[in-house]
Amino acid sequence: MKRPGGILVIYKYLDQVTDAMVAIRGRNDFKDHEVFSPTSYHEIEEALDASPSQVRWFTLSGALTGTLTGFGLGLWVDYDWPQVVGGKLPGLYSLPSYVILGFELTILFGGLMTILGMLVMCRLPNIKQRILDVRFTDDRFGIFVPNVAMDGEQATLLKQFGAEEIRQIESA
Amino acid sequence: MSDEIKWNRTISDVNDGILSNLGKPHPSYYIAWGAAIVCLLIGAFTWGMEMAVGVGITGKTSPVYWGVLITDFVFWVGIGHAGTLISAILFLFRAKWRNTVNRSAEAMTVFAVITAGLFPLIHMGRFWFGSYWIMPLPNTNNLWANYRSPLAWDVFAISTYLTISLLFWYMGMVPDLASIRDRVKGLRRGIYGILCFGWRGTAKQWHHYEAGYGFLAALATPLVLSVHSIVSWDFAMSIQPGWHTTIFPPYFVAGAILSGCAMVYTLLVPIRKMFRMEEFIRPEHLEACIKLTLLTSSIVFYAYAVEFFVAWYSGNIYEWAVFEKRAVGSYAFYFWVMTFCNCIFPLMWWSKRIRNNIPVSMFICILVNVGMWFERYNIIVSSLVEDFLPGSWGHFQPTLGDIALSLGSFGWFMFWFLIFCRYFPIVSMSELKLIMPKPLSKKH
Repeated sequence: MKRPGGILVIYKYLDQVTDAMVAIRGRNDFKDHEVFSPTSYHEIEEALDASPSQVRWFTLSGALTGTLTGFGLGLWVDYDWPQVVGGKLPGLYSLPSYVILGFELTILFGGLMTILGMLVMCRLPNIKQRILDVRFTDDRFGIFVPNVAMDGEQATLLKQFGAEEIRQIESA
Repeated sequence: MSDEIKWNRTISDVNDGILSNLGKPHPSYYIAWGAAIVCLLIGAFTWGMEMAVGVGITGKTSPVYWGVLITDFVFWVGIGHAGTLISAILFLFRAKWRNTVNRSAEAMTVFAVITAGLFPLIHMGRFWFGSYWIMPLPNTNNLWANYRSPLAWDVFAISTYLTISLLFWYMGMVPDLASIRDRVKGLRRGIYGILCFGWRGTAKQWHHYEAGYGFLAALATPLVLSVHSIVSWDFAMSIQPGWHTTIFPPYFVAGAILSGCAMVYTLLVPIRKMFRMEEFIRPEHLEACIKLTLLTSSIVFYAYAVEFFVAWYSGNIYEWAVFEKRAVGSYAFYFWVMTFCNCIFPLMWWSKRIRNNIPVSMFICILVNVGMWFERYNIIVSSLVEDFLPGSWGHFQPTLGDIALSLGSFGWFMFWFLIFCRYFPIVSMSELKLIMPKPLSKKH
């Protein structure tokens, strides 16, 4: 699929990018814009004003599956090959023995699903995706607005917040 | 605490400073790596001998069938505790100093747990016969593992811990691998591009990443506490005097964190020198690590005392006999080395001057590691050697084979750890930037 071109605005300072983010938030003429940051500053998270991440549902579903699998494994083995302890009849299942299995698999499945959730929600792996500027993983912040030209009013607005650099990105 | 640190660097210096390890390393790196390979080869040769000749080359003999190799297993699992403690628990407590040491501590955890995982196999001798019983699948006879046994729990605990620690470590590294991708060229760029999954650092990616990282930390926190508790049940759920005690889980967890933190310090001090990272891994961060080591040392000291008190107060003559023999019997040497190294020497850290004296603190940390190995040896051997049947009492002496296999494990561990130090970011760059002054324009 052809990726759209647009304008890339680079900022040196955190407050500049967050001010710009707040100004363009929810505006139709900045649709599908992307913000880049070298690390996870809470100021950016606040300016993004996103709803809570859906990763939590992956974690919850994995953890619950793990709990059921752990207890299920212990109980099923008990059913398949009863271990008679102290002369008690088979069929008297002792749950406390399987707390460890349930606990460990809760963590294991919950953790695996959390990783899966992170990858799905971050749309990773995506190795062929174009890297717009190598400084975004170093010390610079940026905003990319697709389908917009350098001479548009979007560029003028974003420049006002103290952009260090602004350039056109061709579609690829 | 890092808020008070006067940083001489800005976030723009972080990538250049931390990724200097990708360049030509200091000659001492090659010396250390060479030494690790020599130790590893000694261990590998001895393991080969063990397979060819039999487990008799180790000191295992009736009634001590858990000797040095199981001591090594518990020791390495314990070392593996500090990494996830630092990365998960201290993350939830928002202890900022952990941001400079968590990456190498997590790497240490992963390699330590892998090392620990080798020992049940080495312990078996010809492991291809025995390894089936670690995970008895496929199961053609409908005879299942006994899931009421702590040994079966241990398999679940260790493998879960290894998996989660590995994922936590790797996911934490993804943004940093992207940083490497963005500064290298050619084939290396392609390799690091694949390793970082194509991470771009968008605000939405960070949003989901932070949520996931927090959940992983929340899941890993009880896991850290559970793993060594379950290892301790390998002992505590038997009826062996000296083992059968309810204090074991917290006692083992505290001991594991003590040895892990001491090992983190022991590894960090040469690494920050070798890769010139003194500006980022600051003395203040090292001091925080020492404070944590001192805290856990105090808990371990208390646990040793309570263990003795309970043995005496219980009125159980068999229990008391074991403890009496530990302190003044034929294994007293191991007991007193353990006590001095884990409880007495660390008391020197109450002095701020000693805490901040890096060579002295490093020496004490090495003593703690020695002490923690002796602790496991003391627990395992001194309890087993004189059981309920006086006719079977014996004496255990580590053999050259035991020593060579233990040395080999250090070589194996250091071999992988040093490879990590050479090709991966030793300090979490994205997290280090968070504790440095924020890049704000002049108007603020």
